[in-house]
Amino acid sequence: MSVLRQFLPAFFLTAALLALWQGYCARADVSPLILPAPSDVARGLWANRADLARHAGATLLVAGLGFSLSVVFAFASSVALWFLPALRRGVLPLMVASQTVPIVALAPLMVLWFGFGLLPKVLLVILVTFFPMLVSLLSGYARLPQAYHDQLVSMGAGRVALFRRAALPVARPQFFAGLRISATYAIVATIFAEYAGARQGLGIWILTAKNNFRADLVLSAVVLSAVLTLSLLGLLHLIDRVTGRRFRGGDDAAA
Amino acid sequence: MLRLEDLTIRAADRLLVEPTSLTLVPGQVTCLIGPSGCGKSSVLKWLAGVLAPGLTAEGRAEVERTPLVPPSPALAYQPQQDTLFPWLTVAENAALGLELSGLSRRAAQARVRPLFDRFGLAGCEDRFPRELSGGMRQRAAFLRTIVLDAPYLLLDEPFSALDAVTRLRLQDWLLARLAERPRGVLLVTHDLYEATQMANRILVMAACPGRIVADISLTTPRPARSEAALAGVRADLRSLLMEETP
Repeated sequence: MSVLRQFLPAFFLTAALLALWQGYCARADVSPLILPAPSDVARGLWANRADLARHAGATLLVAGLGFSLSVVFAFASSVALWFLPALRRGVLPLMVASQTVPIVALAPLMVLWFGFGLLPKVLLVILVTFFPMLVSLLSGYARLPQAYHDQLVSMGAGRVALFRRAALPVARPQFFAGLRISATYAIVATIFAEYAGARQGLGIWILTAKNNFRADLVLSAVVLSAVLTLSLLGLLHLIDRVTGRRFRGGDDAAA
Repeated sequence: MLRLEDLTIRAADRLLVEPTSLTLVPGQVTCLIGPSGCGKSSVLKWLAGVLAPGLTAEGRAEVERTPLVPPSPALAYQPQQDTLFPWLTVAENAALGLELSGLSRRAAQARVRPLFDRFGLAGCEDRFPRELSGGMRQRAAFLRTIVLDAPYLLLDEPFSALDAVTRLRLQDWLLARLAERPRGVLLVTHDLYEATQMANRILVMAACPGRIVADISLTTPRPARSEAALAGVRADLRSLLMEETP
């Protein structure tokens, strides 16, 4: 019931926007080359379902692989930076600076350096998704309440015990927030990487469709990209629910 | 006996506590009472090894004539808030200190679980702190402190977050627990009633800079501590605190 209550407004709003779009295309007599109606997009999706599924599968593989590796690297880096505060002070400004490099510049460079295979695309996904997760984890660790710190230290806890017993559990909500942000970036980054050069994937599909003036097929890929992103977010939500029984309830006496 | 000698605590720009000495005697409750900001919690935190960041301290402490390097297993510290970790069950919270002292998870659980009944927490072992009342949470925090079996307890206003009735009940309850296994207790409070009800000895601190200005021994046995019997001591304490509070 609560799930219905949560999603019904979004469902009705989407339906209303699609109806408006469809109505506008019918009444304004816009060329489908410029703005295809939602029904055209749906027809394009259905007619090319096999090809689109293959390309979407390729995109999902790259995004999933890059995202998974990124989670591992971000977590390992966050642990290293927690234990080495001096390194944190040195590395963080560099990390922030690295985020000013635009993805449109990175994507072709990756293809140039590493070719058209899996590696450049996975690397790009890692580069894009790593930073939000790392920052989320570090800001999560920094939220360790002084009272928890004092309680543990007074009982003889060292830095490892402090991290394992308190900093890590305290950082959980921030970690999942970072995961959600990075998950949305993962699909977009993959499509960018494919756009810069690939044999398969939604990015190359979009590029080909655009070159053929098939706006309906471009939008079909956009729909699929949204479905992939929402599926990834749904999976993360499920993992959060299944593993987070201890963390629900929001009681934090010392915060 | 725990002996603290010439403890001086400084903030960046001022002297917070001037050289202060005190002793804790096994089996006795010593109350440190004083106005807010006089440094009483900082003295306690220094002994617990958790002096607030930004403060520096010099001083010596020894337990049974052995130099004390805080944090020490000879001292169990309980801060003002119960600091039960919300993601741990009550039994896991209670066993936390034991696990940190090197006991296995199973052995620590085996030590704490039989004590739940005596601490009025029977049936709460596998519940989360959010499911307990304020008084029960505080008893769980006491269980976590007391099960460490340290000969000296450092309690920083442990009853301050509780309502009046729960506070009175818990004070009696804590005295009963202490009677079962006597320990030296340093109790920080700014509640006159609590101090006179619980203490064998009251050290009055003044602020700016923090220093001990009176040392009052309470010789009346606790069962005989009626309102009338304590009226004189409370009046003395009240006037001392009023004099020393700017």
